[in-house]
Amino acid sequence: MQNVDDMGTGYYDRPKLNYLNNGHTIKSWLLTKDHKRIAIMYLISVSVFFFMGGLYASAIRLELLTPASDLLESGSYNKAFTQHGILMIFFFLIPSIPAVLGNFLLPIMIGAKDLALPRVNLLSLYIYWIGGGLTLFALLQGGVDTGWTFYTPYSTTFSNTYVMAVGLGIFVNGFSSILTGLNFIVTVHTMRAPGMTWFRLPLFVWAQYATSLVMILGTPVIAITVLLLAIERFGRVGIFDPSIGGDPILFQHLFWFYSHPAVYIMILPGMGVISELISNFSRKKIFGYEFIAFSSIAIAVFGFLVWGHHMFVSGQSVYAGLVFSFLTMVVAVPSAIKMFNWTATLYKGSVSFDTPMLYAIGFMGLFLIGGLTGLFLGSMGLDVHLTDTYFVVAHFHYVMVGGQVIAYLGGIHYWWPKMTGKMYSEFWGKISAMLVFIGFNLTFFPQFILGYQGMPRRYASYPPELQVLNIFSTAGASVLGVGLIMPVIYLGHSLLFGKNAGPNPWMLPGLEWRTSSPPPTENFETTPIVTWEAYEFGEESGLDLEEARRREIARTY
Amino acid sequence: MATHVDTLDHEHYHPPGLQHQFEDMKQQEESVSIGMWMFLVQEIMFFGGLFTVYLVFRSRFPMAFAAGSNHLDAFWGGLNTLVLIVSSLTMALTVYYAQKGNRNMQVILIALTMFFGAVFLGVKAIEYTGKYNDGFVPITGLNKKVRADAHADHAAVAEKPCYEVEHGGAEHAYVNPRGDFQWTDCSLVKLAEDGKYLTDAEKVGYFSNGQIDPNKFRDKVRIFFWIYFVMTGLHALHMIVGLGLMTWLGWKAWLGTYGPDYYMPVEMSGLYWHFVDIVWIFLFPLLYLLGRHFMH
Repeated sequence: MQNVDDMGTGYYDRPKLNYLNNGHTIKSWLLTKDHKRIAIMYLISVSVFFFMGGLYASAIRLELLTPASDLLESGSYNKAFTQHGILMIFFFLIPSIPAVLGNFLLPIMIGAKDLALPRVNLLSLYIYWIGGGLTLFALLQGGVDTGWTFYTPYSTTFSNTYVMAVGLGIFVNGFSSILTGLNFIVTVHTMRAPGMTWFRLPLFVWAQYATSLVMILGTPVIAITVLLLAIERFGRVGIFDPSIGGDPILFQHLFWFYSHPAVYIMILPGMGVISELISNFSRKKIFGYEFIAFSSIAIAVFGFLVWGHHMFVSGQSVYAGLVFSFLTMVVAVPSAIKMFNWTATLYKGSVSFDTPMLYAIGFMGLFLIGGLTGLFLGSMGLDVHLTDTYFVVAHFHYVMVGGQVIAYLGGIHYWWPKMTGKMYSEFWGKISAMLVFIGFNLTFFPQFILGYQGMPRRYASYPPELQVLNIFSTAGASVLGVGLIMPVIYLGHSLLFGKNAGPNPWMLPGLEWRTSSPPPTENFETTPIVTWEAYEFGEESGLDLEEARRREIARTY
Repeated sequence: MATHVDTLDHEHYHPPGLQHQFEDMKQQEESVSIGMWMFLVQEIMFFGGLFTVYLVFRSRFPMAFAAGSNHLDAFWGGLNTLVLIVSSLTMALTVYYAQKGNRNMQVILIALTMFFGAVFLGVKAIEYTGKYNDGFVPITGLNKKVRADAHADHAAVAEKPCYEVEHGGAEHAYVNPRGDFQWTDCSLVKLAEDGKYLTDAEKVGYFSNGQIDPNKFRDKVRIFFWIYFVMTGLHALHMIVGLGLMTWLGWKAWLGTYGPDYYMPVEMSGLYWHFVDIVWIFLFPLLYLLGRHFMH
C-alpha cells in the first residue's frame, strides 16, 4: 500500500507532460479525443449557460420585488421564466455533473485510459454546442414564452414565439446526453482496470451508470415528442390538437415520461458526488455500499413509473393518479436509504470541514427538505391545493439547486486540484459555500410559505400582502448570486497563483488520487491493478490527513 | 488510428484498427458492440414514442384507422417488406464474407443491399406521390392543387357530403384548390352509423347532434395519415442514413479493409440495417393490414 511520502502532499513538481500542456493549439483542443479536455470544454460551456440562466433568474426576482408587474410586463416575464427554465434544465443541470465531472473522472476512477468511445464523446460536445447555438439563436430572435414544459395546445397553436427553433435546439441537444450516457455505460462495462470489480467501483461511478440508463431510455422519448410538436406547429394540424380529435394530455404524458426521469438525471449524479464527499471527508468506508449502489439503480428504474404525478389535475383518471401517487411514495424509499447511509457514515467518522464537505453537508439538509416536500406534492389530495403554486417552485429548486447545483459545486471544489493541479483559497471557498447555503435558503424557503398561501407560479404580479416574503426571497437571491460568482473569481485566481496541489491533496485512497495532478493524457503511467476496496481507509494505508498536514506545515515554515 | 496529437505512447505497438484507449481487439470489439446495442435501445425508445401515439389513437378511433388503412396499397407495402427482408439477407451475408475476408463478395453484396434499399425508397416515393395526388397528405397545402374550373361540371358534386358522392367512373369529382386534406370515401361512415362497433371515443368523435358528421370522421382519418407520414417518413430517413452508411462501408470494403481480424464496422452497420428492417416489419402490418376486414 502507498504511504504518505508516495502519495505526496504538494512538494512534487507537476509532471512535465500532462493533458493540459500536451498540445497548445486551438485545433489540439477542438479535435481532441481526450475525455479530460472534452470535460474542460463542457465545464466552460455549461458555466456560460448557467450564468445566462442566472441572468433570467435575476430578472424574475427583481420583477417580483413589487406586487405590480412593473419591471417586466407579462409577456416578457413569461419569456424570462421560460428561458430561465430551458437554459438551466437542458443546458446546465442535465449536462452539469455527467458531462463535466463524469467525463473527467469516470475513466480515471475505473483505471482506464479514456472513455470507450472517445470520438462519440467529442461528437456529443459538438451536438451540445449546435443545440445550444440553435437555442441561443432563438432567444436572440425574440425567445419563447410557453414555459419549459411546452404544454399543448398553447405551444402548437397559440404562442407566437420561437417554439420550433427552441424545440429543435432541445431535440438536437438531447442526442448529446444520449451519447454521453451510452459512452458511460460502455465504459463501465468494458474499460475497468484489472481488479476493479463492480463492487469496488466508487459510488460516483454507480450513480453515473444509473444516470446513463435514464439518459438512454428517457431522452429519445422527449426527442420524438418535441419533433411531433414541431411538425404539428409547422403543419398547423396534428395529434395534440383537440379541435380535430387530438389529445393535449397525450403530450403531457409523453413529455413527463422523459421529464420526470430527467429530474433523476438532475439528482442522481449529485448523489454520487455526495457519496464520495461524505465518505472521503469522514475518512471512513461508506456505510452500506451495496445499498447506496443499488438505490441508484432503483431510483433510475422507479423514476420511469411516476410521471403521472405531474398530471393529478390535468384530467388524468383518478385511478391512474392513485397508482402514480403510490409509486411516488415508493421512489422516496431509495432516496431515503441514501440519506440514512450518509448519516451513518458520518457517525464516528473523523469529519473534516473542508469546502467540499461544507457543500456535502449543505446538500444533505437541502435535499432532505426538497425530498420531503416532494412527498407533500406526491399526495393526491394535498397536491390539488399546491399544484402550480410557489410551493412547487420551492420544492424543485430545493432538489435541483439545493441538490444538483450544490453537489456540482462541491464536486468542482473537491476535484479542482485534480483537474488543474492547483489549490484554491480554502478561506474564500468556505465563505462562498456558506453564502450559497444561506442565500439559497433565504431565497427559496419563503417560497414554500408563499405557495402554501396560494401564490401561483408564472405570474408577473401578485397580491400586495405577499410582498414581504417576496422581498426576502429577492434579497436571498442576491446573496446566492454573490455566493455563486465568488468561485469564478477565486478558482480563476488559483489557476494563476494557486500553489501546486500535488497528486493527492486530500490524502485519499481513490484511483483518481493515485495519478499526478493534472493527470497525463493517458491518465496513468501504467495500467493500475486494483487490490483494494472502495473507500479503504485505515492505519495501514497511511492515509492520515492530519499527519500529512502537520508535516506539510513543518516543511513550509 | 492512434495518430492523434494526444497520444503519448508512440513506442507501443498497435494492431491495425485498434484504437489507443483499448488494450486489445477483444476489448474494442466488446465496447463497440455494447455501444451499438445501446444506440439501438435508444432508437427503440425513439420509435417507441411513435408506436405509443399510434396505439393511443388506434384504440380510440379504430374505424377511422381502418378507413385510412384501406387507402394504403398493401401490394406496395408487401413488396417493400419482401425487398427489405431480402436486403437483410444480403447484409447478413456481407458480414459473413467480411469475416472470411472475401473482398469481392463483400462489395457485390453491399451493392445489392444498397440496390434493395433504393428500391424500397423508390416504392415509398411512388406511394407518397399517390397520396399527394389523392389529397391524403394531412398538412394543408402539401397536396396537389386541383382547381374547380378544371372539372367545372363536377364542382357541385364535390360540395356534397362524401357519402352522397357516387364512387368510381367519370362521376367521381375531385376539386382541391388549396391542397387541403381530402376525404371522399365514406363507406365506413355508413358502417359507423350502425353504432355497434364504436368505441366510446368514436361515439363522441364522429357525431354532431346525434348525427354522423363526415367532417369529424375525416379529421380522425387525417390523424391516421398524420401518423402514417411521420412514422414512415422517419423510417425512410433511417433508410437514407443506412444507404449513406453502406456507401462508406462499400468504399472501405473495396479498399480491402475488412478481414477475419477486423470486421466490426461491417457487423455494426449490419445491426443498424437489420434494426431499420425490423421497424418496417412492425410498421407494415400496423399501418397497411390491421382493420382491413372492416371493408372486405
